Amino acid sequence: MKQLLLDIAPSPPPTLANFVPGRNIELLQTLSNVVAGLERERFIYLWGGAGCGRTHLLQAIAGICMRRKMNVAYFSCAPETEFIASSEPHCVTVDDVDRLNAKAQISLFNLYNHIRDEGHALLLVSGPAAPAQLRLRDDLITRLGWGLVYQVHELSDEEKIKAMKCHALGRGLDLPQEVCDYLLRHGRRDLPSLMATLDALDSFSLANQRKVTIPLVRELFQAVS
Amino acid sequence: MTTMPAVDTFWLSCLGYFEKELSAQQFNTWIKPLRLDSSNDASEPILVAPNRFVMQWVKDNFLSRIELMAEKYFAQSIRFQLMLAEHVSAKTPLSPSNSAVTAAFQPPADVDTPAVSLRKVPGDPKEKNPSRLNSSFTFNNFVTGKANQLARAGAIQVAERPGVAYNPFFIYGGVGLGKTHLIQAIGNFVLEHNSAAKVRYIHSEQYVSDVVKAYQHKAFDDFKRYYHSLDLLLIDDIQFFGGKNRTQEEFFYAFNALIEAHKQVIITCDSYPKEISGMEERLISRFGWGLTVAVEPPELEMRVAILLKKALLENIVLDENVAFFIAKHIRSNVRELEGALKRVVAYSRFTGHSLSLDLAREALKDLLAVQNRQISIENIQKTVADYYKIKVAEMYSKKRSRIVARPRQMAMAISKELTPLSLPDIGEAFGGRDHTTVLHGYRKIAELRASDPAINRDFNTLLHILRG
Repeated sequence: MKQLLLDIAPSPPPTLANFVPGRNIELLQTLSNVVAGLERERFIYLWGGAGCGRTHLLQAIAGICMRRKMNVAYFSCAPETEFIASSEPHCVTVDDVDRLNAKAQISLFNLYNHIRDEGHALLLVSGPAAPAQLRLRDDLITRLGWGLVYQVHELSDEEKIKAMKCHALGRGLDLPQEVCDYLLRHGRRDLPSLMATLDALDSFSLANQRKVTIPLVRELFQAVS
Repeated sequence: MTTMPAVDTFWLSCLGYFEKELSAQQFNTWIKPLRLDSSNDASEPILVAPNRFVMQWVKDNFLSRIELMAEKYFAQSIRFQLMLAEHVSAKTPLSPSNSAVTAAFQPPADVDTPAVSLRKVPGDPKEKNPSRLNSSFTFNNFVTGKANQLARAGAIQVAERPGVAYNPFFIYGGVGLGKTHLIQAIGNFVLEHNSAAKVRYIHSEQYVSDVVKAYQHKAFDDFKRYYHSLDLLLIDDIQFFGGKNRTQEEFFYAFNALIEAHKQVIITCDSYPKEISGMEERLISRFGWGLTVAVEPPELEMRVAILLKKALLENIVLDENVAFFIAKHIRSNVRELEGALKRVVAYSRFTGHSLSLDLAREALKDLLAVQNRQISIENIQKTVADYYKIKVAEMYSKKRSRIVARPRQMAMAISKELTPLSLPDIGEAFGGRDHTTVLHGYRKIAELRASDPAINRDFNTLLHILRG
């Protein structure tokens, strides 16, 4: 059996440019302004459901700051995360803030106060819900809601199809509408999964020298399951 | 020719991949402790392992996969070196960016290190701002209303006569209501009138951390000398002392020394002194020696005033109607109110349109939608019952006469509209009714709204009331 590359191909590095904006154009503009130094607000909170692209955006910002040799602290939260920075950071990104336990919340609370009172860093935090709906300390929640708060809207099915077709076009892949519909009905529907499936489909179609059709997708799903 | 993306970025995406791919335990054991050191030569980046065991395991199980991913990512073959932490630190100092990035993925070496170890020692003569006050917090830009007028009046008296008027001065209230602003305004006022005054603002968490540090470094004498020598101590969020006996003991001595010397102590807390959990009785009773005042959530007029003041400070032209709209919808605390204003201003900049009511409504629609989802079914039942002048109990009763059944159906339809609850849950909240009854109620109201303008008006009015 042919070996599939699906398992090991990493997604392309997250950037602001390869984020499909959908209804998030304003947010994307704000983040671009932040990294261009055109936005005064240093505290930004992003929220939205799983697969909406929060992590992508946080990593994109962290990546831009790192390429500029800035001091970046990227925290992917676990219950026990401690917010320790070895030196004064320029950019702090905190993903999945809802995972923090009581002690870790105090640690982030301290970091927030430190940055607000004495630091100059950008603090970008993400969570699954709007601040008021998070089950965290009240004093932390109100601080998260104090800066700019944006919901990251998941793409609609139409927007996902558009993004898939655009991605396929970039790979020279002819992607029929019915295959898009099939993928949205039968596979995982978040954008990263859809893109990974498309990449796998591309390789699979090349390896088998067949056009992308629903039967080919079915075979691919069977092969990887 | 394209430039090669940074290895750091690749490593981030690699971490993301492994986090998704491996179980949390595997990821935390093998991948998370790895640290990327790309500072020497990007063509041969180094992965630093905390110990030999992790290094060997990663080499056997993950290294080839990492290199394969790198090959695809950079479109060229990349070899990674694995090295032990002690060898790397001796060999190449980490660049600041790398060390900070990896801080997130490494367990801290010393668990007792304060969370942000960037603060200076209290009382350090080299400190630029020994009071730690934020000069932007003044009485002038503190908006007063019914909710905080007593606290403000007390604060002004304390600021004018520190150590004499009320000692201690204890302010309590919920989060985001301006307690910190008020006490820092006192500190700034005192310094403005007496630049030699030794003032110190400290958050209780930091005080706890300073006690721990003093204990670790056997520096209690210095610690005591510093705190006992202050003219004005402002201590924020004292509820953090709850259950921390050593801190409470130290604070007790500092408190006594300051009060006896007629030096001012100002404290804020999220609750009334007697309700602070885990606090020693002797401290609680001392908190009541001076003046204890509450700050309440701001009322509508005050919220409007806060927005207008904030806009003025930021040179934003804010119409009163727009301020009123934001204030009407954001009710809980000042921080959320200011956050909402920022959002509206950002949206105005984005669209290039001036701040109008429609623009504010559009900018805050996500936030308001969330609030609508928070409306409780009890609230709906009560509002509908009041509207139709029936008892709330009729919402759960078995009676089926139209005079109670119609309002009940209306409340069910609105519950479906405004809450995320399932139909069986809604049925349960209406006296244990079946979900088909809820569905029938919803359909009936939809049908009546289409045929009877009065019912439609009732429905819309109720939605309007409930959404605030």
